[in-house]
Amino acid sequence: MLDVLTLFLFNIIVYNIPLLYGTTGEIMIEKSGSLNLGVEGTMAIGAVAGYLAGAKCDSLLVACLVSFIASGLVGLLFSFLTVTLQANQNVTGLTITTFGVAFYYFIGNALSNSKGGWPTLSGTGLDAQSQAIHIPFISDIPFVGKALFSHGILVYVGILIAILMWFYFNKTVPGLKLRSIGENPAAADSLGVNVAFYKYTHIIVGSGIMGLGGLYMGLNMGGTFEGSNCWINGYGWISIALVIFANWSPAKAILGTLIFGFFNTLRVQNAALAYTFPNTLGWLTKIPSHFFSALPFIITLIVLITSSLTSKGKSGEPQAIGRNYYREDR
Amino acid sequence: MRKYHLVRRADSQLKRTLIYYAIGILISLTIGAVILISLGINPFEYYGRMFTIGLVGNRYGYKSVEGLLKIFVPLLITSLALSLSFKMRFWNIGGEGEFLIGAICASIVAFNSSGLPNFVTVVLMCLAAMISSGIIGVAIAALKVKFNTNETLMTLMLNYIMLYVIRYIGDTKADWNFFLRKDSERPIFGSFPESAVMQGIHFGKFNLLWSVIIAVILTVIIYIYLKFTKHGYEISVVGDSSSTAKYAGMSVGKIVLRTMFISSALIGLAAALAVSSAGTVSDTITNDVGWTGIIVAWLSKLSVPAVFVTAILISVLQYGCQAAATQYPAIDINFADLLQGIILFSVLVADFAANFRLVKKEEAKNA
Repeated sequence: MLDVLTLFLFNIIVYNIPLLYGTTGEIMIEKSGSLNLGVEGTMAIGAVAGYLAGAKCDSLLVACLVSFIASGLVGLLFSFLTVTLQANQNVTGLTITTFGVAFYYFIGNALSNSKGGWPTLSGTGLDAQSQAIHIPFISDIPFVGKALFSHGILVYVGILIAILMWFYFNKTVPGLKLRSIGENPAAADSLGVNVAFYKYTHIIVGSGIMGLGGLYMGLNMGGTFEGSNCWINGYGWISIALVIFANWSPAKAILGTLIFGFFNTLRVQNAALAYTFPNTLGWLTKIPSHFFSALPFIITLIVLITSSLTSKGKSGEPQAIGRNYYREDR
Repeated sequence: MRKYHLVRRADSQLKRTLIYYAIGILISLTIGAVILISLGINPFEYYGRMFTIGLVGNRYGYKSVEGLLKIFVPLLITSLALSLSFKMRFWNIGGEGEFLIGAICASIVAFNSSGLPNFVTVVLMCLAAMISSGIIGVAIAALKVKFNTNETLMTLMLNYIMLYVIRYIGDTKADWNFFLRKDSERPIFGSFPESAVMQGIHFGKFNLLWSVIIAVILTVIIYIYLKFTKHGYEISVVGDSSSTAKYAGMSVGKIVLRTMFISSALIGLAAALAVSSAGTVSDTITNDVGWTGIIVAWLSKLSVPAVFVTAILISVLQYGCQAAATQYPAIDINFADLLQGIILFSVLVADFAANFRLVKKEEAKNA
């Protein structure tokens, strides 16, 4: 019985940390006043580039670096088009998603049909390095040890990024400047903040973080390429929803990941739970799995509407979000 | 100090824009060609095959045109509908969701229509789809107008909620579920009765569906609506500046609500025509028109004639890739999406070049 619960908590973390990467990356971008709808595509490109490089070099570090750089380049493209060339953010972001997912399938199919084939994960150094780390004593604590402290390195990195980002936004001067750009770029500009520089750097770093999430998903799927199912599988879109749910706060993003992850895991494991607790949780099997899939979006829609009904002051939504800043229009 | 700065061009010449766009598309096709060469494929042969959508030397060529039109009609109507809302700077990216609502409601009529005349059924399907999608559109617009809720994010959520609704319908075997085939153990969407399937005019073997004719007529109507009516004028004023519209005595809220109803209802209509032409419904019935429509509308700069042309081009690109895939197994159909993305990126750059220019800052300023 306890095993089922341990596994449940373990799975919440293992399968949903990519959401945290996607969400923290998107929060960083949105805090600079840009709405990037290309999360799904950015993650897909980071995943495929990082995985291929990592499998080739047998190194998780190389995989992370390449995936960060590849997705960062996508971020560079987004910032070049929207910040410098004033292109529409929604259209650019959506195109990045179309492009990125197509890129994933295209590269995957081309490699699978080539002589060498798609590189496999099992047995490589990449596989070994991304496995769960056993921390002496802590991992051995019953229940908690297995659920919370028996994960691969990327899980801890994801949580660390979220904490560091919270610190960056709230306790540092550059973080304050960044938030001021998201609220009112003209005012920030007149105070001498280099708006374009801040937007560029944060969009690139935010995209890079998303790429790591994509890589994580690929590794979690055992690195196998399927022609019909993208590794990212809609997590990029859930991340965009989660940004709203977390009220643009990286700290709340951790909590939000756990909550969305809870529903996600419930969808996969409802049968196991209903079997273990037939009397209390037997009804779980009656709920269609699609309901759990739609739940993050339903909750976000409700949060979106209710938060707009109440006072705007409490919302963490950057006021200038989605609008380009062109100095001469000031 | 930076020596150069950007200035928005005062005039926007059509000729200049077209030239820049052409250069952008040419560059994208060149990038595509480089990708093809790296896979060991002759790009001229591939492009040749793609742009002729498998018509040349094919005695079933009429099938290709029919297939192309089935992609084209929903894309055209959706793109037109989306440009209506984009013209007011209302970011309706819920094309997918609105399409699915329309498809579901049209299918409810279709599955229960046996015995009715074909014309009546199809009209009823269209009405059901338009009203249901329109209501959702108005609800979202009302929230935006009344409480300034972010419409981009609302419509985005709608897409996914509707996707799971239709997947639920498609996966659930139950007595109430008339969407599914009764004779199958596995859940499979059923076929519409004959009364709900789109008919057409036969030219020899070629069957020109009524939906194509409706789409063309609709394009003309929307063109006239935007260009020559008071409503169309109001939409463009709201798009330019909603405060200008307010001071001119226009009721901005009413205009937004009305236009969003029309926009969503048109997407519903596109869905009704699509399910009727396909003779069935599925969770992939949208063929991503909600997303592609945004790209088409933007590539066309929200101009109705340009949307018509761009929708043809994008349909050729997509259908051509499908047609060429039989010949080139190494290139899958995602090449179309890849190319589409590269084209949009280049056109965004071209658009910038056509509207802005670099100006050298006067030296006097620094002195």
